[in-house]
Amino acid sequence: MKGIGKRTTIAFLSIVALLSVSGVISLFELSNLSYDTDAILSANTRDIGVARDLLRSAHDHSRAMIDVVVFDNESARESCNKALSELDSHIALLRDKASAVVQGSLDTLSIYSGELRHLADSYSSTERVVIDSLTVELRKIDGRKWYKERYQPAHNRLVEQVERYITLSHSELAPRAAQLSKNAYRSVAPVLISLLVMIAIVLMFYYFVYIYMVKPVLLINRSLSDYLSFKLPYKPKANMVDEIKELNDNIENLINISKSNKKQGGDAI
Amino acid sequence: MRFSVILRYIGAVMLCLSAFMAVSAGISLVSNDTGFYPLLLSALLTLLLGGFPMIFVPKADNITNKEGFMIVVGSWVLSCVVGMFPYLIWGGEFSLVNAWFESVSGFTTTGASILTNIEALPQGLLFWRSATCWIGGAGVVMFALLILPSLGTNKMALSSIELSSLAKDNYRYRTQMVVRILLAVYIGLTVVTTLLLKVSGMRWFDALNHAMSACATGGFSTKNASIGFYDSPLIEWTLIVAMFLSSLHFGLIFSTFTRKANNIFRSEVVRVYVGIIVAATLCIGASLYFADIYPNILTSLRQSVFQVVSLITTTGFATANTNLWTPFAIVILIILSIICGCAGSTAGGIKVDRVLLYGKVLKARLRGQQHPNAIIRIRLDGIVQEERQVNAVTLFLTTYFVLILVATLTSTLFGLDLLTAFSSSVTFIGNVGPGFGEAGSYDNYAMMPSLLKIQGSILMLMGRLEIFGFIQFLFIRMWR
Repeated sequence: MKGIGKRTTIAFLSIVALLSVSGVISLFELSNLSYDTDAILSANTRDIGVARDLLRSAHDHSRAMIDVVVFDNESARESCNKALSELDSHIALLRDKASAVVQGSLDTLSIYSGELRHLADSYSSTERVVIDSLTVELRKIDGRKWYKERYQPAHNRLVEQVERYITLSHSELAPRAAQLSKNAYRSVAPVLISLLVMIAIVLMFYYFVYIYMVKPVLLINRSLSDYLSFKLPYKPKANMVDEIKELNDNIENLINISKSNKKQGGDAI
Repeated sequence: MRFSVILRYIGAVMLCLSAFMAVSAGISLVSNDTGFYPLLLSALLTLLLGGFPMIFVPKADNITNKEGFMIVVGSWVLSCVVGMFPYLIWGGEFSLVNAWFESVSGFTTTGASILTNIEALPQGLLFWRSATCWIGGAGVVMFALLILPSLGTNKMALSSIELSSLAKDNYRYRTQMVVRILLAVYIGLTVVTTLLLKVSGMRWFDALNHAMSACATGGFSTKNASIGFYDSPLIEWTLIVAMFLSSLHFGLIFSTFTRKANNIFRSEVVRVYVGIIVAATLCIGASLYFADIYPNILTSLRQSVFQVVSLITTTGFATANTNLWTPFAIVILIILSIICGCAGSTAGGIKVDRVLLYGKVLKARLRGQQHPNAIIRIRLDGIVQEERQVNAVTLFLTTYFVLILVATLTSTLFGLDLLTAFSSSVTFIGNVGPGFGEAGSYDNYAMMPSLLKIQGSILMLMGRLEIFGFIQFLFIRMWR
């Protein structure tokens, strides 16, 4: 393959290469963006879910403790222990993927959870003995008092700490979201640039094909028509390269041969 | 004018840019930083963009003056566009306007930056920044010594002052020969400066970057504190020599090394230029010493000479916060930013040649008034200057100052203080880099509103293309 064919093929392959590059860039950038968005959304959803579970466990524990201390329902102790275990396991789950910033908040949460456990244990081992020696009525009043004065402040601290943790983890997501916004801009930039380059190349392709291929052929055709119709001199003025130039030269040769043949024929007559 | 031929040669420049981007990508790959992907992608896109016209357009045997002019100016503008690609793809502080500003600043060898933290940039991008300066510097010399003179006296008389006597000598060579000479001087100067900076204590990477920037009189540094980071007299003196040589006529440097008659030591322009540097250094040094800004006269002179050479050569490196200097020193530095280096060098601004010629014109006019019948000839470097050239210089100076005033006016309209507005306008059109006030030697242009950044980049291009080159480009269709 040579000449026009070669040029057109190379140009076509260049456009294909650019399209491929643009496609790969778009895919790469979109998958990056999608990954980042997914990571942020997952982190957000996980945090919200775990925080909800933490609050639910704390609430379950509180309710179970009310059953134990106010209604003297010893069977609620199991729910109480279960709620505490869930609370600890949720904290442990958060610790796995926590950054250094929220690690401190989780430590505090563990301390408050431990405080609840200690309170629950101390109630069963120490305070219960005291309560058992009193009347049933007094026991109920003391249970309420104990709950209000000792348990509830600790429970409130835990709930407040969970809220603080949610705020902190959300504020930690804010810069990541800002980064995501930047990344989105950054992802668009290469795609836009490739698109602009592609537009420029397609315009150049059209221009060059028109200047070096279409226009010379049109001019050759017109000049040849003028020669055949009106016997005007055959002189197309265009940028000619490769086979088009050969074609033009061949036509000129043909015209010259035809002229010389006519002349010879005329001389012979 | 053959548009396709122009595209082919602009394409060749794009291929050169692509090669530099590829080298920068290689540096990023080696240093394992985030610049690799943006630079590689930009290199690929630029390669396709530059290579495409070569598929169709055959090599032209001859190029007309107009085509040559279009090739150079078009290359410059398109280089600025393509030069944005790595910045835009990398992101960070580079918004569209910021990337355009940084790219134009590099290719016009201005060295003004919008970056608040240069050291946060990956090494590949730092190299690309310096490379834009270096490529721009090579372009400046070619433009000043090959294209402008070849445009003919009638059409581009305003730029004919670019040709000092030696440039005319050089122009006797065939164009290719001149290109080789200029490139030899430019590359030689860069290599020697790199080696000297390395010996002076810089890392190879920093030495190469600063050498490229100094030889292009660009001023892009790899450090936030510019040359002040090193606090090394040896490095400062190496850069002073490099900046000074780069601001001289490149043909003169070549002639000096090849021991030709026309050389640095015999040039009237160079003598005046050195005189200005020495006088400014002494004045500012004394001012700094007596104002107790530096503890002794030697330190004052050291700081003074670096800043004087840095600004008059339009490089813009810094070793001190010049905002803290005396008002007297600041005024002198602003004047130096207006005068700038010699014609035929990588320096921008009015140029000493024009200032000297203008001074001689004033003297001649004065004599003419005293002796109305006298025929007074104005000579520059021994060559009689025609009336047309004298008028061209006057017109250039007038336009230059009008542009500074207009730019200052619009800058103040957008809320900049007078010192910042004026000095940044001077520094943009003179391709100097740092200004004063909020745009001081240790500051940047990040604070500027986007419209002023665009105005600044247009001023840089106008200054680089000798104002009338830029105007000619805009009205190319009217050029017959």
